[in-house]
Amino acid sequence: MARKKLRTKDQHIIRLASMVDGLGSILYEKADLLSYDCDGFTIHTALPKAVVFPENTEEVANIVKYCHEQGLPFLARGAGTGLSGGAIPLNQEVIISMVKMKKLLSVDLENRRAVVEPGFVNLKLTNSISDKGYYYAPDPSSQYCCTIGGNVAENAGGAHCLKYGVTTNHILGLEVVLPNGEIVEIGSNGVPDEPGYDLLGLLTGSEGTLGIVTKITVRILKNPEDKQTVLAYFDKIEDGSQAVSDIVSAGIVPAALEMMDKTAIEGVEAAAFPVGHPKDIEALLLIEVDGIAAGIGEQIEQILDVCRSRNVREVRAAKDEQERAAWWANRKTGFGAMGAISPDYLVQDGVIPRSKLPEVLQKIKKISDDSGLRIANIFHAGDGNLHPLVLFDARIPGETDKAMEAGSACLKVCADVGGTITGEHGVGIEKREEMRFVFKDEEIMAQTDIREVFNPDNLLNAGKLFPTPGRCAEVKKEMKEAAIS
Amino acid sequence: MITANLEKLQILLKADQIKDTAETAHPYGNSGAMTVFPNNENEIVAILKFATENSFTVNIMGAGTKRGYGGMNERADILLSLEKYTGIVEHHPGDMTITVKAGTPFQEIQDHLKAYSQRIALDPFLPEQTTIGGLVSSNDSGPKRLGYGAARDAVIGLRMIYPDGTIIRSGGKVVKNVAGYDMNKLFIGSMGTIGVISEVTIKLRPITKAESTMIISFPISDMGSIKNLSVRVLDSTIEPVCFELINPELMERMTGEKSYSLVMSFEDVEKSVSYQEEFIQGLMKDGIKLRRLKGEESVQFWQSFYHLLPNGNKVDSQFRSETVLKIGTINMNILSILKDCELIQDTNNVTIQAHGGLGHGIMNMYINGVANDVRDAIEKVRNIAQKHQGYAIIRHLPFEQRKQTDIWGPKPAAFFLFEGIKLKVDPNRILNRNRYIGGI
Repeated sequence: MARKKLRTKDQHIIRLASMVDGLGSILYEKADLLSYDCDGFTIHTALPKAVVFPENTEEVANIVKYCHEQGLPFLARGAGTGLSGGAIPLNQEVIISMVKMKKLLSVDLENRRAVVEPGFVNLKLTNSISDKGYYYAPDPSSQYCCTIGGNVAENAGGAHCLKYGVTTNHILGLEVVLPNGEIVEIGSNGVPDEPGYDLLGLLTGSEGTLGIVTKITVRILKNPEDKQTVLAYFDKIEDGSQAVSDIVSAGIVPAALEMMDKTAIEGVEAAAFPVGHPKDIEALLLIEVDGIAAGIGEQIEQILDVCRSRNVREVRAAKDEQERAAWWANRKTGFGAMGAISPDYLVQDGVIPRSKLPEVLQKIKKISDDSGLRIANIFHAGDGNLHPLVLFDARIPGETDKAMEAGSACLKVCADVGGTITGEHGVGIEKREEMRFVFKDEEIMAQTDIREVFNPDNLLNAGKLFPTPGRCAEVKKEMKEAAIS
Repeated sequence: MITANLEKLQILLKADQIKDTAETAHPYGNSGAMTVFPNNENEIVAILKFATENSFTVNIMGAGTKRGYGGMNERADILLSLEKYTGIVEHHPGDMTITVKAGTPFQEIQDHLKAYSQRIALDPFLPEQTTIGGLVSSNDSGPKRLGYGAARDAVIGLRMIYPDGTIIRSGGKVVKNVAGYDMNKLFIGSMGTIGVISEVTIKLRPITKAESTMIISFPISDMGSIKNLSVRVLDSTIEPVCFELINPELMERMTGEKSYSLVMSFEDVEKSVSYQEEFIQGLMKDGIKLRRLKGEESVQFWQSFYHLLPNGNKVDSQFRSETVLKIGTINMNILSILKDCELIQDTNNVTIQAHGGLGHGIMNMYINGVANDVRDAIEKVRNIAQKHQGYAIIRHLPFEQRKQTDIWGPKPAAFFLFEGIKLKVDPNRILNRNRYIGGI
């Protein structure tokens, strides 16, 4: 195959190209870079300097070492499905794309673990082991295309993390390239509780600001013997949310407990996977119970009783796997479905104490009324993770800003009732300022202090996760440094 | 030196909150020339500021059950005891979360939660004595870790006090949270070296309607058949919350019967528990024995299990000087480790009692014998653990013996990051100095 020549005199590009597999593994021309100017958070865009596609850990380490030595900003990117802008090159970064590192390296069923490269797609892992009766638990809605490396960076959740936990609960070991190019193994051999600080836990969810993960040992689980799903329609949202509390109070730990409000239902019914939900109900609950078959019937009966005692309009269990799958497809494509009823939408990701749901929904309705923008709510009700979807039209001048303000106001409501600003999508660039809703300056500084240990030059994914330093924090930091020196 | 500053300390605390402990040596070390007993968070902050200003070192203690767990200094200037800093700050039954002060004994919290049919899904050793702060600081877990997870999976928020008195909250009060770095994870298991835990927020689980414990014993020590049966159970769809292999010596101590045994627990609704019991019943064949522990029998078994671990604060007649190791390995390698350790009992003239979770890979090993023999045995066990991709650390040993023993084994590759973190948070290294791996 005839190799094209590099059409640039930029020495950095020439050097970077030499570290990967030639021209097919680097992009540097504007037309090519345009697809990398944002991720799933499309409101903010910026062009990278280049995109490189390493194929192994050594190549990643070499690229990082070079960037570190040359003072070039850089960041890692998976499938680019992140919803908070974590992979957007704010500082003209060299993007290190992990998509060529997509191998499933090993599966060890006896010890319930698998080792994957970071570019391996989440759902492919479950698909590779499902014939043996195993699966990988974290199931973000984008699991058919998002990568496990990205899941680690964001500590991704999913509908079924109510019972089984989020990504951090399933990571046993990581190979990491630190921002100076050094390769370290954390959680050697995937053995739990390695002595020393829990860097596995710290790195998971650090949004690509502490290191670049190049190999991941994950825990896999045995498929539950059986699962059953219940669908319930409520005329009043209060009844729906009371039913959620009652189910949990009854001592049931559902595998998933999802809620959608009227606007969200309108969206999913107008999109690709309609199931015929009535359009005049205020809330829908999707409840899944899994485990030993012998014990499930009883729990399903209990759930049906709870719903009936809370004035449910209609409630029933899925009659077969096909119906169950249809309900889930309808729910899992919920965000995208908003495209069917609105030109643009903004997804938010607050978390609230479950009991505050009626109060929070009322306040979100007020935000919607005040801003004149419709807000749909998709809710992982079991663990209090609320996704308000602000519907807007970017073609109307000023409406994008208005949508962002409304989104931020929703997060303020969540924070004010004792919740937090993000449950699974991460802070990225989108919620940097909202970090102040939940953390004081000292607490943010405690976190940037940790970043300095890993990423002292802040060349790796700078400008993410933390608000621009407030005056107060800067002064305090100066004082602290003066005291130390 | 500290006594000269006693007056300053007396301004901060009442007389009965300060105890001169300069003369009393504790066999497990990790003590202080002066012991202080704060009642509230402000007092903890004041004590830490006082220590920082005067460059005093501070050891932190809950109930002291883990005094034998790490620590190369006999005493610090100040022993900060949290035993009087107890109580529930808030419990939201509807949200299934609870916030407690660090010095609260674990069982006290469970007793409170029982009235709400809720619990913390953790099963630490010495539950009546161990404090929630101590449990979290050591990321302790019991055999039910397979079904429950460890402290790192249950804790959702912490209020930490840094050495300079700054209060740092990490996580929050909701069960799902990715705002900022997961600083909880950094503090959990940090052995008190990067801050004092003030409050812990934990997610709760419902108490299950039914539970049952079954023991399969193998009178013939055949690792092959133990493994076959274990793989069959773990590869099935039944869901034991505990799947612990106990070696013959430990089983003899607990029940009088000396044979390798698998202990399984099931917790679910009644029908599911019976179904799983029947499944196990169906696996039985000649040469193995099955016992189902019912009611009081089951309670007593677990009672004695959770008290296998010696209490590091006990120095009375119950003083036990045995060595306890924590071993982490790849799940099924526990079988090989136990097998390899059989030999050490003979070559070193020690007894080794051990159990390990075949579903999670964590083992505890109790070694008894003459000090020199034990020391040599520890090294051998560590080598065996490493041969099986694992590690061995010492989680209980008197101070004099600790001084002559490598507690934590080799430093991992990421050690320089631990050091960097320690120095960022505690630049003067006043908190639990030398308590943790590599002297951090």
